[in-house]
Amino acid sequence: MNETKNAAVKEEPKKAEVTEKKTEAEAEEKKETAPAAKEEAKEEKKETPAEEGNEEINTDDLFKHRVSINLTPENAWFSPSAGGLISLKIINAEGEEEFFERVVIRRSFPVTSPDEFLSVREPDTRAKGRGAEIGMIRNIHIFDQTTVDLINAELDIRYFTPTISKITSAKEKFGYTYWEAETSAGKVSIVLNNPFSNIRVLEDGRIYIFDMDGNCFLIPDPAALDRQSFRAIEIYI
Amino acid sequence: MKLFYDMPAGDRAAYDAAASPDEVLMYCVPFNVWQERFVSGWTAVTDRAIYCILDGKVLSTTALERCTVFSTEVLYGNCAFYGVVDGTTTLICQFLSGRNLPRYSVLVQACEDLAKKRRESRAPGDPVVNEEHERFCPKCGRPFIPGTNICPFCRNSKEVYKKLWGLTRGLRWMLFFPLFVSVISLAIQFILPAIQRVAVNDYLTNESIHPLGSFAEDPHKRAFLLIFLAIITIDLVQRVLGVIQSRLSAVAGNKFTLMMRTLLYEKISTLSISSISHKSTGDLMGRITGDVNAVQAFMTGQLPSLFTQAASFVLALVFLLIINPLMSMFVFVPIPFVVWLVKNFWSTMQNRNRKNWVLGYHVNLFLQDILNGIRVVKSYGNEEREIATFHRRTDRHAAQTESNALLFDTFFPLLGFVTRIGSYLILFYGNYLLFKGTMNYGDLHQFNSYANIIYGPLIWITGIPRQISAFLTSLGKVLEILEEQPEVADIGLPIDIDIEGDVRFENVTFGYDSYNPVLEGINLDVKKGEMIGVVGHSGSGKTTLINLLMRLYDVTEGAIMIDDVNIKDISQNALRSQIGVVLQETHLFSGSIRDNIKYAKPHASDEEVIEAAKMANAHDFIVNLPDGYNTMIGEKGYSLSGGERQRVAIARALIHNPKILILDEATAALDTETEKLIQDAINKLSKNRTTFAIAHRLSTLRNADRLIVLDKGHLAECGTHQELLDKKGFYWRLVMAQRQDSGMLDKADKILAAKKTATA
Repeated sequence: MNETKNAAVKEEPKKAEVTEKKTEAEAEEKKETAPAAKEEAKEEKKETPAEEGNEEINTDDLFKHRVSINLTPENAWFSPSAGGLISLKIINAEGEEEFFERVVIRRSFPVTSPDEFLSVREPDTRAKGRGAEIGMIRNIHIFDQTTVDLINAELDIRYFTPTISKITSAKEKFGYTYWEAETSAGKVSIVLNNPFSNIRVLEDGRIYIFDMDGNCFLIPDPAALDRQSFRAIEIYI
Repeated sequence: MKLFYDMPAGDRAAYDAAASPDEVLMYCVPFNVWQERFVSGWTAVTDRAIYCILDGKVLSTTALERCTVFSTEVLYGNCAFYGVVDGTTTLICQFLSGRNLPRYSVLVQACEDLAKKRRESRAPGDPVVNEEHERFCPKCGRPFIPGTNICPFCRNSKEVYKKLWGLTRGLRWMLFFPLFVSVISLAIQFILPAIQRVAVNDYLTNESIHPLGSFAEDPHKRAFLLIFLAIITIDLVQRVLGVIQSRLSAVAGNKFTLMMRTLLYEKISTLSISSISHKSTGDLMGRITGDVNAVQAFMTGQLPSLFTQAASFVLALVFLLIINPLMSMFVFVPIPFVVWLVKNFWSTMQNRNRKNWVLGYHVNLFLQDILNGIRVVKSYGNEEREIATFHRRTDRHAAQTESNALLFDTFFPLLGFVTRIGSYLILFYGNYLLFKGTMNYGDLHQFNSYANIIYGPLIWITGIPRQISAFLTSLGKVLEILEEQPEVADIGLPIDIDIEGDVRFENVTFGYDSYNPVLEGINLDVKKGEMIGVVGHSGSGKTTLINLLMRLYDVTEGAIMIDDVNIKDISQNALRSQIGVVLQETHLFSGSIRDNIKYAKPHASDEEVIEAAKMANAHDFIVNLPDGYNTMIGEKGYSLSGGERQRVAIARALIHNPKILILDEATAALDTETEKLIQDAINKLSKNRTTFAIAHRLSTLRNADRLIVLDKGHLAECGTHQELLDKKGFYWRLVMAQRQDSGMLDKADKILAAKKTATA
């Protein structure tokens, strides 16, 4: 009894492969798979008799993933959490209400479309590893202004990219580039190693700069910089 | 790594006001970002709470007893430190990853520990001390040169020079004799204009001299001949000295390079894997070749030049002042202007050349990219677009090259003219004096010669600071390796034992970075001759376990015992010569197959080589190669297939008859048939040997006596195949997962076959 049940459960994924060839004889096939399955289960038993009697475990569960949904004002409600982060209540794919104490929001296209295709995820944790995607926001502006502000505040923390307005001093020493710059986040000393790979120019002319501290800076329009600042970056672009 | 910073007085006062007097300040680390601004704030952790302090104000206080889990997260351009307060995740502060991520990673553990102790009202204990290296200069805050502890701004150059002096032992006379020679050569150079003056004044322009007769009678003629000979001799001597100096410099430079390279290579070879793996192969190669060259070039090229240039400047100056102090003013007046102009011209040119280089580099990069992927370009029909891109890039490059050339060709001749301003002034004033009769022609000639000498060193010296700093950086990088202490070192009197094969892991904990343990609390007892299969997800610590057994790294806590002797007490040589290793990525050296098999035992006889190859199932394929065991393999030789390489590697591991055998994914990259051959070889050789085999494909391990399952650095399960399956834990899940992948097809086949027999 146990054996057949067990085998039947395991049968599931194989069927897809087999049925193609014998769709015309569905009924007949059912009769025949039973002994086949029995035989197969016996074989299994030789190798790993331990598996006997574990019908309660469906191996497919090991590979189950959360279904990501399209988040809209109709099925998702963002709110500030007690810890100053974002909580989310959704109606999930099964139509059930679900609440997340904290969600993480990532941009799919942080450079080209920062307001679109936001991926809303469970946070990564040490215990569970990478968090799953709860859903996606097609465009942030389908939500009301309070929600937009809430999400943007979180995104501003996550994508901290100060804008450089002026490079007051630029030195190259020992193969490193040392800059003193004024940015939207205050004055800062920037040290770049290998400026050719850490200064990236996008097609639309914007420049992203990654320094040794792990900072990311943006120059939205290099042509608008003053002459001295432009000369400092000019040789790398 | 520093975990306790001293707060500035204002912030400290704010902390003192907020904390109760009996609170113990355990850690204090900086945070860098607050409300989208760069700030300099402090995260102070006491035995009771976490305070964030900024500009003399406490921004937030988080009571530890309400916290459970802490975590860090790398964001874009900064990092966040979170704590779970009363079950709610809370952002505590933001910091910069490059600067403080390792610090906060330690803090995460420390805070969780403190919070736990606080809840259980236990004593907080002593703060955690971390030995990790800083990556930023403690003095100026700028980053160290990556992979080193050198801050280019704060290094003590005196000390560096002192060490360099020590290194030149045995080569000193060779390095300094050329200096001495060049000084002589220089002195002679200064005699020449003086003699020329005599020749001009006393003979060429002296109208009172009339040829009287033979050389023997005429003192003037004799003197003239003497001067003529002196000029030739001086020139000759100067050239001979030049030859001597160049030859000596070449020899000394070469010797110096040879010595430095050998020293460096020896040192790198003796350093432990942990020190080496922090540096990339490219970096190490750069230090052995590039940096040593730079140091040598400075020592034998730039240093003597610097010396002679400086000396000739001073000498020329003195002579000028002696001949005519007033006229020497004319030399000096334009100097500041000339130096300024030359410097500016070259820096502009340098910038422009640099830009040109970058544009050329982009063209090359593009070509490399597209030519490598030309099939893709063609198969998507994108030739037109790529041609347009190429045009755009080459056009920019060409335009820049053109503009650079135009500028250079226009200004360089002008620059030549400007540098000679001094000479024109001298010519003008000198002629004036000549006409007036207060100066004679010979003096003017001599003066002019010295004036021409003085400009050379001046222009040359403007480039010196850059050269010195480049030299110091290279030297620092070389010295750093020479002075590094191997982390894994033999004890004073290491034991050479004959290993039987019992291995015991006693509570082993280890992490490549001390704040991030890869293995935690591993206990394992292996009898000699046992075969242990090691399984687990990637990143679970399997290879680390093996690395520890080979003692490529030392354990952080606990001990590994072989035959009841701590491996720290066994000499590394004795240990590793009795362990055989086969890795997934087999590295065979350039040379013959025979040489490669003999690598582990250089004096092995040919019989032993064949025996090892036979055990590894490699003999047959080797004999079938045209050159048999003498087939050259490696870079320029015959290329073996993956399975063949693997079997040669197994033969290499076997030849010295190791008591402990390690197989790290030795068969992962092979097809099933080759795998079977190798599997057979492994079965043969694992007899009577303690064997550790890591494998992803679980079927490889079916002969293992016991299996251990590692999960996130912990020993999750341990037992025979059967025991673990019965447990239905981690191992069982792995087996099931693999069945789903690979077992599906042949199960379908089985069903079909069964169906056929049923219908028949």
